[in-house]
Amino acid sequence: MKKEKKNQIVMTIIIGAVCVVFFAVMFMQFKTIEETDITAIENMREADLRTAISEWKGKYEDTQKQLESNRKSVQEYQQTIDKNGEASELIDKDLAESNMLLGKTDVTGEGVIVTLTNTQECVIEYSHLLELVNELRYAGAEAISINDARVVTTTDITQINSRMQVSGQRVASPYVIKAIGNQTYLSSTLSLKDSGFIDRYKASGMDIKLEKGNNVKILKYNGEMKVKYMKEVEK
Amino acid sequence: MIFIAIVVGCILGAIIGIYAPMVPYTYSGYLAIAIIAALDSVFGGIASTLNKQFDLKIFVSGFFGNAILSMILTYLGQKLNVDIYLAAIVVFVGRMFNNLAIIRRYYLEKWTNCKEKLKTEKTEQ
Repeated sequence: MKKEKKNQIVMTIIIGAVCVVFFAVMFMQFKTIEETDITAIENMREADLRTAISEWKGKYEDTQKQLESNRKSVQEYQQTIDKNGEASELIDKDLAESNMLLGKTDVTGEGVIVTLTNTQECVIEYSHLLELVNELRYAGAEAISINDARVVTTTDITQINSRMQVSGQRVASPYVIKAIGNQTYLSSTLSLKDSGFIDRYKASGMDIKLEKGNNVKILKYNGEMKVKYMKEVEK
Repeated sequence: MIFIAIVVGCILGAIIGIYAPMVPYTYSGYLAIAIIAALDSVFGGIASTLNKQFDLKIFVSGFFGNAILSMILTYLGQKLNVDIYLAAIVVFVGRMFNNLAIIRRYYLEKWTNCKEKLKTEKTEQ
């Protein structure tokens, strides 16, 4: 009887202990599962990780492709920019040249300076200036100015009541005509025997001085250049 | 007395479990298998009690032995790259259903016997 009771007590204690262990472990597991963030990488299952990796790999490849195509287009753009740069450089050069020829900029270069001064024997008239300018042009002058008034394509040289005007700007003796061009051509054309400007008018008593300069400076045309009537002919 | 011990043990275990430190997630798989094995032993114990074949030694050794063995097998499966824990779950849950069937049948029989007794008593009256 006593032994049986003892046995029963032992059994009770053991079963109680088993219950304690069992429930402790069960609740521990419940808590763990509940509190663990399944989406964290450390806790993800291998299969999930695999799919995630392959997904990212695909995305990475797509991005890589896109990057490459973007790079290509950037390169193309760069090329076109370079081309445009070349073209615009050419255009700029053209424009600068045209401006110089038109007289919109101050220019400098080798050339000649002709100084005409009135004397008692010979008063200089507009026709003399015209002739001189014409001769200089013939000799290949690229830019001409009379008393710092630039002679451009629209320039007129007139005389109203013994007042000399260049493009409406009054000029008076001494007339300093500057021309930029090949020095030798210019000076030799002007001083040709008999037919040259200097030879022809020196005889009639005109005071003409011819100077050569390596650094003749001619100022820009200071009037306005406007196109009012003419239009470009459409081809 | 045993019933009181079970209830007290359950409550105490729950409290300990709630305040115990968390298990790392990687090891929670082993713990789950151990719990399944233990649960199987519990149902087996109940079934054997009803059949009056309950042996404390067998119960306790089965309870801890199965849990530890299943954990070792799971670990081995992971090393071999075979999901052995699936086999363990199939076996344990299958046995659980077996034991539950035994328990159910026992109580159903008891219930029908009771009813028949009542019927016969009525007819006797």
